Amino acid sequence: MVFPLNFLANAELAAESPGFLRDSFLGWFTNSILVTAIVLGVIVWVVRSCTRNMQVIPGRGQNFLEAIVEGFYGSVESILGHKMTVKAFPLLASLFLFICMADWSGLFPGVGSIGWFHTHNGETEFTPLLRGTTADLNMTLALTAVSMTLWFYWTMQVTGPVAFIKELFGVKGGMTGPILLFLVPLFLFIGVLEVVSILVRPISLSFRLYGNVSAGENLMSTMINIGNLLHTPQWLSNILSVIVPIPFYFLEILVGFLQAMIFTVLMIVYIQLSTVHEDGSH
Amino acid sequence: MIQQILDQIGSSFGVTWPKFIAQLFLFLIAYFVLSRYAFGPIMKILEERRKRIEEGQLNAEKIKKQLAEAELRYQEVLRKANDDAQVLLEESRKNTEAFSQREMEKAVKESAAIVERARHEIASERNRMVDEVKREMVSLVIKTTAKVAGRVLTPEDQRRLSEEAAKDLAA
Repeated sequence: MVFPLNFLANAELAAESPGFLRDSFLGWFTNSILVTAIVLGVIVWVVRSCTRNMQVIPGRGQNFLEAIVEGFYGSVESILGHKMTVKAFPLLASLFLFICMADWSGLFPGVGSIGWFHTHNGETEFTPLLRGTTADLNMTLALTAVSMTLWFYWTMQVTGPVAFIKELFGVKGGMTGPILLFLVPLFLFIGVLEVVSILVRPISLSFRLYGNVSAGENLMSTMINIGNLLHTPQWLSNILSVIVPIPFYFLEILVGFLQAMIFTVLMIVYIQLSTVHEDGSH
Repeated sequence: MIQQILDQIGSSFGVTWPKFIAQLFLFLIAYFVLSRYAFGPIMKILEERRKRIEEGQLNAEKIKKQLAEAELRYQEVLRKANDDAQVLLEESRKNTEAFSQREMEKAVKESAAIVERARHEIASERNRMVDEVKREMVSLVIKTTAKVAGRVLTPEDQRRLSEEAAKDLAA
């Protein structure tokens, strides 16, 4: 059996605005931004519910929340040390929680499948009402922008510009003597590579998250429509659209969690690399 | 060239400044809310609890140290009390021995005095009894002699008989 090349690519790359808003001043209000606002509302509601009456001797709910936060805090502290963890933990925990919820928000029934058809440039297009937040490159770029800005601020605050440049281009290992004539150009070159790798970090972070979640949406969309794509009878297509996506839902739950974890762990590593020196000091 | 690539990426993926800023703003709100109302208070409580536990551990250490010191002091006091008690016991034993010795000597003296006095009383009683017996015997001899002789004895006879009887009794 031969499938056409566009067999899997049946979801749009970009988040879209509803047709009636597209040409107005609210043209920036996309289906992805709507989901972000919903996720934000859920976060605010959950947080206020869980932390309304914080006690030193916790209740059952607070105890559960504290156990998770304490576990995560301990892991971050073992990598970044106490001083840096106090600064960076709120950002890292917020990133993890927000990305996790944003990834899973795309898995709710109706997200990507409820919308309306409209005609654009003579072609009929389908615009979903809701689109996964992290399946929008604007969102992943925004996450990266905040993370990298704070990374740079903390690096300058803790390490300082001179020490940071020295860390990038300086000769490591405490070498002295004539061997430096060979090592200085080598470490300058390594420093340039290091700068390139730092500049690439925002791109890799944002595109990795966007790519994985977007690919997941494509996969789910393909699995839901597999009956139609294989031209099976309608009754079989209906059954397949319910049964086939089930294992992929579990896969996407795992992927969403892993992507949140990867983004957060990479940020921890970046902060650790620039603020914790070889001797373990800050 | 770079601008062209960026424009192409922007149009393909729908990246525009207004959409980017909107998403950035929403995430910043989420970050603020989570930092201010979730992780901040939890971290504060965890820190407070950690401090309390540390204080508790320090107090426990302090109490343990104080207990050890008190135990040492108690042992010292106990040892000193034992020593004092030993000294007191020794003194008491010596005092008791001296007292009993004194009492013994006093008792011996008193008993010797009692014996002496009794002996003296017995002797004087015996003498008194002997004198009584003698008197009775003389009287009896005079009465018997008067009865045997059948006459009334003169005072001279009575004196002579009395002297003879006394002489015989004394022998």
